[in-house]
Amino acid sequence: MTIAPNDVPPRISVIAIGNILLGDDGFGPVAVEMFRCLYQCSPSVAILDLGTPGLDIAPYLYGVELVILVDAVRAPGKPGTLSVYSQSDIFSGHAQLRLSSHDPGVLESLVQLRLAGHAPSEVIIVGAVPESCKVGGGISPSALSAASLAAAMIADLLLQRSVSCSRRPTPDRGNFWWLSSNQQQLIACNLHVQTETVLTGLTG
Amino acid sequence: MTRVSIDPVTRIEGHLRIDVEVDGGKVQNAWASCTMWRGIEKILLGRDAREGWVFAQRFCGVCTTVHAIASVRAVEDALQLEIPANAQYIRNLILIAHALHDHIVHFYQLSILDWVDIANIPQADAARAAALADGYSTWSGNSHAKLEEVQNKVKGLVAGGQLGIFSHGYWGHPAMRFTPELNLIFFAHYLAALDFQRKATQVVGILGGKTPHIQNMAVGGVMNAINLDSLATMNMDRLGMLQSLLQELIPFVQQAYFVDTCLLGAFYPEWFRYGRGVANYLAVPDLPTDAKASQFDLPGGVIFDGNLGAAQPIDNWRDEKFRAAVAEDVTHAWYQGKGPQPPWQGKTEPDYTDFRENAKYTWVKAPRYNGHPMQVGPLANILVGYAGNHALTRKWTDTAFNRISEIHGVSVTTTDMQSTMGRQLARGIRSAMLCDLALEHWQLLTNNILKGDADTYNPPQFPHHEIRGVGMHEAPRGGLSHWVMVDKGVFSNYQAVVPTTWNASPRDEKGVPGPYETSLLGNPVADATKPLEVLRTVHSFDPCMACSCHTLDATGRKIAQVKIL
Repeated sequence: MTIAPNDVPPRISVIAIGNILLGDDGFGPVAVEMFRCLYQCSPSVAILDLGTPGLDIAPYLYGVELVILVDAVRAPGKPGTLSVYSQSDIFSGHAQLRLSSHDPGVLESLVQLRLAGHAPSEVIIVGAVPESCKVGGGISPSALSAASLAAAMIADLLLQRSVSCSRRPTPDRGNFWWLSSNQQQLIACNLHVQTETVLTGLTG
Repeated sequence: MTRVSIDPVTRIEGHLRIDVEVDGGKVQNAWASCTMWRGIEKILLGRDAREGWVFAQRFCGVCTTVHAIASVRAVEDALQLEIPANAQYIRNLILIAHALHDHIVHFYQLSILDWVDIANIPQADAARAAALADGYSTWSGNSHAKLEEVQNKVKGLVAGGQLGIFSHGYWGHPAMRFTPELNLIFFAHYLAALDFQRKATQVVGILGGKTPHIQNMAVGGVMNAINLDSLATMNMDRLGMLQSLLQELIPFVQQAYFVDTCLLGAFYPEWFRYGRGVANYLAVPDLPTDAKASQFDLPGGVIFDGNLGAAQPIDNWRDEKFRAAVAEDVTHAWYQGKGPQPPWQGKTEPDYTDFRENAKYTWVKAPRYNGHPMQVGPLANILVGYAGNHALTRKWTDTAFNRISEIHGVSVTTTDMQSTMGRQLARGIRSAMLCDLALEHWQLLTNNILKGDADTYNPPQFPHHEIRGVGMHEAPRGGLSHWVMVDKGVFSNYQAVVPTTWNASPRDEKGVPGPYETSLLGNPVADATKPLEVLRTVHSFDPCMACSCHTLDATGRKIAQVKIL
């Protein structure tokens, strides 16, 4: 939550969840930062890295219209498998967000916000199956490809809802301070390749 | 003898497992175990000491600011670096706002459903509830219309069979004793708490740049620019915004939350007799009122055997007694090593066995103070202040005692406070105190800026030899200390002794159990398949296992469960 005087609360939040110090648990923060580097959105979109909140997530969902949560999920499939879940998947238990102890956080916060009349009208989860969540492990190749796909998927989800979101002509400089310099370079290359592919596609 | 294993207990990060043996409706023996490996401090070794706080605030998703500030304080202590007065006040305001947020979330979102039965709210008389609430409190959010609206929402939930969404609701449990009207009032506050935890978060956001991960910390002070003539910096507008947010937040805390903790105590007075546990208390001094950190608004100290008369103060952050007293024992924890180790010499090398109650059974180390287990948290904070005749602590504690006595004729003393209910009440008292202190530190900051002082940062200079320091913070869950060794500007050792490590401590080499384990002895359990009473006592500590043994669940999905062994 960035606060500026007299600011209007953003209608849409793209929220990264996960612990950047625990390997692929940091999938969300990497994916969302990649999205920010590649796309320019309308000012009504807030891009947030919330780390690993429990019930503390409520203030960030309060009164927002559309929430896209990007997180490592426990789901069937190989590491790196990317899925999109709807709010009903969260309520029915189909989307197990990260560690099970977080489910009550998001779930109960949503229930509580709904009862209090401040719930988001739509919540979407973009989740990837993690490969390894070791302390200080950095991000695995499978989670990195998933993050790259997730960035495009977030943009699609916004466009489908008529939220303006366009490719930057050159990627913004990323801030992946928690990763090793090798991994930071790998991501920088990935961002450039993605941008070039799109531009070639447009001109060709 | 029935053996009950509750796994996990916390509804926030981390997996806490509690095993209890129940006989004759009471707990006879208890073990607290954290089922996830700790060792996240390792990530800091070899890193630039000026950046440690950025990583440290990712230890835990709930106590972010707490670790950021303990980390910079530890490095500043090692450097003996004084920070500007403005930096102290800005940090203090962040700490206070974070603590208020945390205490509100703990009371309403994490623990109140242990005492409030949502299922009987439909039977409440909303008009009677409104009149009742008006008699207890001057808070403006208790109108008949408001309570009726909340009641209708609950009716909808009940009719739709959606109560299961509250993950550990033991509805209709015989230990639930509130009237439908009280249940309705508390549940209305549970919903209203959302608005107010948000305001507390906004205070942190204005000062810290962002939440939940603040951006403004620095070894040497804070990175907030102060310039009354600039729109982009800390100016009178920003100060005004802070003041109005505090003024909106404070009535809820002092008139709703604080009063609710008194009501809980008045209507469940038997819980002043359960859950005492380890009656040794540790609180560290916090909220310095000057640049040198020579005076504090929250006093520190230790109390042994519940004897307030013999309390010993911890005067400041350089207190040598404290440094010499703290050691961590791993006899019953899944780490290598023998005997207690002072944190500066501490290592975190895993040695996993499975759960063996007579040997190793947890990832939490056993911190000891001169060999004694200690309880930390708001209760320790309040008892140390009360023992030292700290005026603000006395004012709000005596107010709470009087309120409880007025409501239900229950007389409460500092001895009764040493209990499950006492921990809830202490958190309410501390929150009420923090509101007064928020305004005081806002005034200190404003006066200092108006006086013309715009300093916020003194740059650090690292020597070419190894130095060491301790960073203390009286965090929402209790005394936190980061112990660092810095060699040529990078960390050569880093140990965080966090509040939940003190409270969730296992037995030590002498077999002496920790606060959670001791507090459960004699705890009633009416129905071993629904150990609600055990949860009441454990939740009263506000457990957060995330930093005491960081979470890593590689084995598969765990579902909150109660196993009867």
